[in-house]
Amino acid sequence: MSTTTMAAATGIPQARAWRGLPALAAAIVGVLALSTLVPEQGYTLNIFMQAATYSIAVAGLVVVLGYCGQISLAQAAFFGLGAYGVALGTVDFGLPFFVALLAGVVSATVFGVALGLASLRLGGHYLAMVTISFQQILTLVLTNWAGLTHGPDGVKNIARPSVPGLRLESGDHYLGLCLVTLMGITWYIWRLKTTRLGRAMQAVRDNEIAASTCGIDIFATKVLAFGISAVLGGLGGGLFAGAFAYISPDQFGFGESIVLLTMALLGGVQSPFGALLGTGLLVILPEWLRFLRQVYLAVYGAAVILIMVFLPDGLWGLTHRLRRPAPVAAGAVAPLPLLSQRGTETAEIAMAINGLAKHFGGLKALDGVDMAVRRGTVHALIGPNGSGKTTFINVVTGLYRPTAGRIAIAGQDVTGTAPHQRTRRGLARTFQNIRVFRGMTVLENVMVGAERPGNDIAEQPALVVERALAALDFVGLRGDAHRMVGTLSYGTQRYVEIARALAGSPQVLLLDEPAAGLNLSEKHELGLLLRRLKGHGLTILIVDHDMNLVEQVADHITVLNFGRRIADGGPRDVLSHPDVIAAYLGEPRQDAAA
Amino acid sequence: MSLVPQLLFTGFGIGAIYALVALGFVLLIRAASVVNFAQGEFSMLGAYAMVVLSGLLGVPYWVALPVAVLVMAGFGVLFAGATYWPLRHRGQLPVIISTIGASIFLANTVLALYGPSPEVLPGLFDTPGFEVGGVFMDSQYVAIMVTAAAMLLLQFLIFEKTLLGKKLQATSQDKEMASLLGIPVALMVLITFAYSAALGGLAGILVAPVLFVSVGMGTIISLKAFAANIIGGFGNIPGAILGGLALGIVETFGAAYVSVPYKDALAFGLLLLFLLIRPQGLFGEKIAEKA
Amino acid sequence: MPLLELGGLVARYGAAEVLKDLSLVVEEGEIVALLGSNGAGKSTTLRAISGLVPNVAGRLDFAGRSLIGMKPEAIVRLGVAHVPEGRRVFPGLTVRENILLGGSNRRGAGRRVLERETDEMLAFFPDLKRLEHALGWTLSGGQLQMVAVARGMMAKPRLLLLDEPSLGLAPLVVQQVFRIIAEIRQRGTTVLLVEQNAHMALSVADRGYVLETGSLLVSGKPAELWSNPDVRAAYLGGKTVAAAVG
Repeated sequence: MSTTTMAAATGIPQARAWRGLPALAAAIVGVLALSTLVPEQGYTLNIFMQAATYSIAVAGLVVVLGYCGQISLAQAAFFGLGAYGVALGTVDFGLPFFVALLAGVVSATVFGVALGLASLRLGGHYLAMVTISFQQILTLVLTNWAGLTHGPDGVKNIARPSVPGLRLESGDHYLGLCLVTLMGITWYIWRLKTTRLGRAMQAVRDNEIAASTCGIDIFATKVLAFGISAVLGGLGGGLFAGAFAYISPDQFGFGESIVLLTMALLGGVQSPFGALLGTGLLVILPEWLRFLRQVYLAVYGAAVILIMVFLPDGLWGLTHRLRRPAPVAAGAVAPLPLLSQRGTETAEIAMAINGLAKHFGGLKALDGVDMAVRRGTVHALIGPNGSGKTTFINVVTGLYRPTAGRIAIAGQDVTGTAPHQRTRRGLARTFQNIRVFRGMTVLENVMVGAERPGNDIAEQPALVVERALAALDFVGLRGDAHRMVGTLSYGTQRYVEIARALAGSPQVLLLDEPAAGLNLSEKHELGLLLRRLKGHGLTILIVDHDMNLVEQVADHITVLNFGRRIADGGPRDVLSHPDVIAAYLGEPRQDAAA
Repeated sequence: MSLVPQLLFTGFGIGAIYALVALGFVLLIRAASVVNFAQGEFSMLGAYAMVVLSGLLGVPYWVALPVAVLVMAGFGVLFAGATYWPLRHRGQLPVIISTIGASIFLANTVLALYGPSPEVLPGLFDTPGFEVGGVFMDSQYVAIMVTAAAMLLLQFLIFEKTLLGKKLQATSQDKEMASLLGIPVALMVLITFAYSAALGGLAGILVAPVLFVSVGMGTIISLKAFAANIIGGFGNIPGAILGGLALGIVETFGAAYVSVPYKDALAFGLLLLFLLIRPQGLFGEKIAEKA
Repeated sequence: MPLLELGGLVARYGAAEVLKDLSLVVEEGEIVALLGSNGAGKSTTLRAISGLVPNVAGRLDFAGRSLIGMKPEAIVRLGVAHVPEGRRVFPGLTVRENILLGGSNRRGAGRRVLERETDEMLAFFPDLKRLEHALGWTLSGGQLQMVAVARGMMAKPRLLLLDEPSLGLAPLVVQQVFRIIAEIRQRGTTVLLVEQNAHMALSVADRGYVLETGSLLVSGKPAELWSNPDVRAAYLGGKTVAAAVG
């Protein structure tokens, strides 16, 4: 496994599909060799069986809690569903082992997805509550529905699979099966973190709104993460039933869910290796600390608090300090294909807004606003505070539903669609109060942008890295590619946001007060960047109060006041318009851009 | 005796308990953004404090009651110090996990000390109750309802009418800003924890004669408090109360007409129903995020 | 004795030294502007003064008394009010309640006194009077800034710290905010102002300090700062500004 670790240490999200496979093969040979050393039955075998099957379930928690940031407290319930699938399937229904295992995993998955669908539209604590409840109900059902489940006595004489030539009935061979499965899953989960799906999960964990404006379907991603964790719970449980030949409801109670959670947290919930480490320790430790038998759950409870306070990244997190920092990705990359292929300024409309209205009760925040953003131009939206600009942005990006009116991007109506669907149509944005994915590197942040559904290279991992590096090159942050984004200054994070949007090759880039909090020379640099973007033919809609910046870059200005459009046209005309001066500028503009 | 009014009465009584616990739960969400998974353990501990005081030490009931509630208030401060204070700058998720740990720790510590067999606590009054229009008014249920109503009124007055209440609200919305205005933030947070734990403890003592005192009561009560919150609208005070009452009634009728062992499953069903149909609950969230 | 005196001030966030050896003085009755690029340490200076940075060393005296090691609650009781970046108006409280709580630092003042002073403050900000019972989250950026300043003034401070009062505001509102800042000084309150908008800040300030990566680059009267070519090129935005000012 050490080579696998080394590969992880470089931290470069490489694209090669076979990455880590040699290590996986070595690990499989290793565990098979190990399993032959374990006696065919008895205490040592049981310890290994328990560690292997629990580890599979704990790996599920790495996905849902570590990657996606959602708390599941029913991992033991899914473990139980898998175990009962195998037990009842083989004992009562006479199914072959693997068919019963499949049935158990499927039932865990179905319940997992159903619970996820019900609770994951909302914040993380909803899932926690729903899973606790589910955990309690399942225990009730397993105990009380004796006709199906054999009640509190449990199910005895569960058979192991019989495959000609493999002698899986024998304990050490069955352990080999469990360990090989575990190695495969560990590899998969480790790989998952650096795939498009894994990055989407982490993006959702770090900032849901930003994730949705990168085109990620937050809800589907969370349900998927939770679904994967339920599958792994069920699989671990199914193998557990075969391992011990006897199961009963008390093995799958709420307490066991907490045990699994503690294993994940202790080892480190960000990595499948942490899951292995934590599970291994907590399976062996209670055996050593037998005198704690009466109070071991109390000790686990206290351990959870102590881990959260003193060891938030778990034991595996400690190894981060030992790893070498990733090298800055060197080498030439193709320049950012900034829509120059789409031609220079034309009369074609990139985004059309007609009669847009948004009413909050009696308040008309937007009242019939029209706007046409022409392709290849920089269009500025200005207006006093409270004039409806923020509402306008929220309606255009899909965070609010309009009361009336239509929005079309590149000729396609998007009025009723969700934020991530508009991103798929080519709308990208930055935020007034910066929203980056803090748990990820600069490069990974921008890769999430490059993976915008609908982007030409979104499906090609190698090109995604290249595109992200090109976007970082464009804003001058290539050298910081492997830094954690949270370590950058505020102004620099703004450029990460812009690079993230650019990497997605958007049709329209919406910049929400990009100059806020920048000083004059930084604003000047921003202006230069925007001019370069414009030179490449990108369509930009910018909302800002900085008139120097707006004059420097805008081809067209729309002014809002009290939710209505009071001026629309070229900068010179609009900024000398008496209504605009009265409502917004206060004094006529001197010719500052000259 | 007519069954439906009788069930309504009982349902309101149980619901009032859930409402009290849910109230303490909401306060912590609002004051410290803490979703406290050990809220039910406050009730469990309150009941056990009563068992120790009046059962073991022989303190008269009416003396033991306020002492137990005060002990719980003190415990709330300890609880805050262990689960919330060290993690307060690290976001919601670590604190949630830490309260889950606390809930397990508390339940199993009490289990190790007292064992799994339930304890019995006497009711507030010696008289079992009285009959009004064919409905038997159990005195304990009457006491529960009266106490719940009084606590609600008290809390409303504190939060909406006093300067302390405004300071508590300010602290819950932006701690750093509150400290810049000279509001003693740590004290405000500790007051909230103490009050929330006292409220939970009181609910546990009141419900003890009805449910028995057992280690498992904490988890069940926590779940009901969550469910009440989701039904009423997360973080919403009137919602929590209404949700608690609704839950009590559904459960009582469910136990009478459907099945006793699965009555807890009914609460869960109601919760899922709300999540699917009206996830923002009856009253929705008060403060919308401005993107 | 200056009202505020910083000498060799060092402030750290974790391992990062955000302020290194910063010295400055603010005399009673002045408006002093603190300028510099992003990350120069301007906001950190204000946060250090009001006790929000735990790791501070050096000299930090207010009215002859060291503020090092004091909590924010205690510092505001001495008469230092901080209106932070982003306004931080309590979203779930009304405008009136927000302003009222600004008086929390004054232990002697009872509810009745605070209510009366809130009425006076609302009279001073007529735009806020009609919004008295609106909740914080419903306000626009300009209204929020007014509430934040009014709330800061409720502390009856000797020194008012203003962090980026013009951030995200329309030009017309920026002009209004700076008129109010000038009026606050007229009423006898000393102001230490952090601004990105150097043009506006130096138009009301008596003196300015320009910071660079945590220490002082240059200080002086507005005219002196404008005439220093290095400062103008590097920290005030060079030619763009010259044109805007001219």
